[in-house]
Amino acid sequence: MSSFTDLAAGRGQVPVVTLPRVRFELDCGAHLVVSARPGAPITAVHVHVRGGRSQDVLGKEGTAFLTGTLADQGTDLHDEMGLASLLEPAGGGIRGDASGLSGAIQGDSWGLLLDTMAEVLLGAAYPAGPVKRQQQRILARMEAQAADPHSQAARRFRALVYGKNWLGQSVSGTVESLSSITSADLRRHRKRHWRPERALIAVCGDVDPEKVRRKLNRLLRSWKKGRPFKVKPLRFPKRGVRVDAFHRKREQVHVYLGHLGIKRADPDYAALTVMDHVLGTGPGFTNRITRRLRDELGLAYSVQADIHSSAGTYPGTFRAYIGTSPQHLPTAVQGFMREIHRIRDEAVGEEELRVARDFVVGSFALGFERASRRAAFLVASELHSLPDDVLETLPKEIATVTAEDVQRVANQHLHPDKCCLSVAGPVRKQDLRPLL
Amino acid sequence: MSLNRTQTKTMGKGSLCGATISEHRLRNGLRVLIAERHLDPVVAAMIFYRVGSCHERPEEAGLSHFLEHMMFKGTANLGKGQVDRITTCLGGSNNAFTTPDHTAYWFELASDRWESALEIEADRMQGLLLDPAEFEAEKAVVLEELAMGLDDPWRRLSRAVQEILFGRHPYGRPVIGYADILHRAGPAEMREYYSRFYQPANATVVLCGDLSPSSALKQVRKHLGGLQGHFDSSAAPYRPAPPEPDGERRVQLSWDDPTARMVMAWPTTAVGTDVDFAFDVLTTILTAGRLSRMYRTLVLEKGLATSISTSNDTRAEGGAFWLYAEAAPGVNPADLESAIDDELGQLHEHLVRPAEMKRAKALLIAGAAAEGETVSDLAEHIGGYAMDAEWTLTLELSERRKKVTANALRSVVREYLGSHRRVVGWSLPGSGPENKA
Repeated sequence: MSSFTDLAAGRGQVPVVTLPRVRFELDCGAHLVVSARPGAPITAVHVHVRGGRSQDVLGKEGTAFLTGTLADQGTDLHDEMGLASLLEPAGGGIRGDASGLSGAIQGDSWGLLLDTMAEVLLGAAYPAGPVKRQQQRILARMEAQAADPHSQAARRFRALVYGKNWLGQSVSGTVESLSSITSADLRRHRKRHWRPERALIAVCGDVDPEKVRRKLNRLLRSWKKGRPFKVKPLRFPKRGVRVDAFHRKREQVHVYLGHLGIKRADPDYAALTVMDHVLGTGPGFTNRITRRLRDELGLAYSVQADIHSSAGTYPGTFRAYIGTSPQHLPTAVQGFMREIHRIRDEAVGEEELRVARDFVVGSFALGFERASRRAAFLVASELHSLPDDVLETLPKEIATVTAEDVQRVANQHLHPDKCCLSVAGPVRKQDLRPLL
Repeated sequence: MSLNRTQTKTMGKGSLCGATISEHRLRNGLRVLIAERHLDPVVAAMIFYRVGSCHERPEEAGLSHFLEHMMFKGTANLGKGQVDRITTCLGGSNNAFTTPDHTAYWFELASDRWESALEIEADRMQGLLLDPAEFEAEKAVVLEELAMGLDDPWRRLSRAVQEILFGRHPYGRPVIGYADILHRAGPAEMREYYSRFYQPANATVVLCGDLSPSSALKQVRKHLGGLQGHFDSSAAPYRPAPPEPDGERRVQLSWDDPTARMVMAWPTTAVGTDVDFAFDVLTTILTAGRLSRMYRTLVLEKGLATSISTSNDTRAEGGAFWLYAEAAPGVNPADLESAIDDELGQLHEHLVRPAEMKRAKALLIAGAAAEGETVSDLAEHIGGYAMDAEWTLTLELSERRKKVTANALRSVVREYLGSHRRVVGWSLPGSGPENKA
């Protein structure tokens, strides 16, 4: 046994991930970050437009989502098939969402990808026929989700935590709101909100940053300026016990338990990351919730809890999830509560703390192989104004988190007496409140 | 060439996605594939065993997958949870998966510490505890995993189709097994199964990433070269050949949501044949990307489906071509099926246009590049081919796909995709997840 314990000891410094970046302000006002990586087989481009679905107007929820998702349905120059004909033969593709556009292409065809993305960014036309057709597809999907317990448990949990503001709604809106959105709404949304001052463009791959800058300056020179985006404060319901249920006959129940979480800028982010790994996200059986609920009690295949991964410009959620047989529901909720209380009430042991810290620090070398992952990280870094050396400083910060830090942040940020509980499956709402 | 106990024989070499691959075999029969690539300071270390649901007797259904779970539950040297604890301390990740033909365990670690994975694998290849209490606890987890799958309408439908498609061949059984058989399983039975298949001569180690092949091989010899065992290659039970269909078969289920889901499947061929590569091209022509035939016609132009996809599912002893479609609201399922038949009829009658062939081949090349972006994906790709056919096929994929002609494609469609050979499954809006057929 002792020889194996050494397997995990005395490794010293972990290999450092380098993510070199060059920043540019484009002539149009958009912010560009380029990370060159010689030899990379794929180039990824992310265009993040600040504001996203927070800009949806009342009754038209889902507009930002459709503006991004259907941007590739045609421009003044090409229809949907024409756009696909440009990229697909070169092994590329683009897709949109409520936050903008992303794309990837293989080999050295990154110029073609930028050409196409710029055309869509500036000229998405939202032709009525294709938009209507795609809307029908999305509505059909939403109707299936309306009957799906897992989707419903997640959606209702967000509504319990965030209330009626946009964070509590589905990104695609409701069947009613999505049905009411027209092509004109989408064109209006794009023209008003997809503006260069709001855009963060990240390009990662085997590229020359200066060439990327020159090309984008040329492609985006006609992009008209608008108003910069300002983050508006949101009001959330007070933390408190709230429950919701969605009844369906199924083998399992899906359980979400938690409350409002933290912003990415929270000074406790590093300590909460470590806390999460002790409590509910550490790999395999190294976190307490998996060890207790899955390994010891055999309640579930899928179980976890965390607060740090959803942190963003606005607060994320502290959320524990389990999919389990209906008869295990009370034991599962008790198990979550027990571990939440325990991490608040007792200092984490040195060994447990070391395992969590070592993982978070050591795993920084992993996860940056994909160009799209690098591009997403660059966007998040710019969005949250993280320092350029965050890949070096955050591990160092995490390495200094103490047991006292973990207990302090657990007490400050976890509130077991004010949890929301959303359950879907063979369950009744009136049976839930007694569980909390 | 005479080899002592830990000597190694180098078998072959090649290059893929920027990695140089070499094959070696230790005296105890363990095969080692090393793919050297220095793009990132990361190494994927995997071990594959040629055992999956296909190698189970009917009364053992699900045992391969259950055993995969138990491989994390402790050995004489490493107590329960230690594999995860060591991996976590090293800042890495690990997991495992089971297919019909093989079981694989993987570690992804920084390149200065990946050797720990070998020590763990050496330990659990022969030293698994299979403690009865842990066995029962993990059985409950596997049963929850099975329940999770039963709540998925697509999985239920695919499972029903698969059972008909493969008949008495074990490919007809779900990898996770059946609840009643899992309930009856005991640790003694699993121990015997473990001893039967977890042997050096039935295993392949795949190392991929930022490493030196010579020192990597030295590490493999150090940790795994001394393991001895006996592997009886005839240990797997008799498997009747997947049956040749003698007419279309149908199954209908219901699900309590408004969606009509359809799965069609045809028996095809094993991994690595010319037919396999033709089906790679065909699936891309039919449903990959906006320009694909069925997406364009059935989703965009006719509005009969909200989604459509196909999959070329070739395995070691046979395979299937799968087609999945979701009917658009209000569309009569028969109309969608008829439109699919029309599309397949076109392929029976006419040659695919050169531009479509060109687009499909470009997309396949791009897909291969994306698959080779991470060392873990690359290791899984190489190991999967090594298990189910030959790893060297990974070196030939692009060329073999490029060589597929429109004529060859039409021949394959005519030979394999006739309606008399298929199973058609529908899951229709109804009262609940009950089988009605």
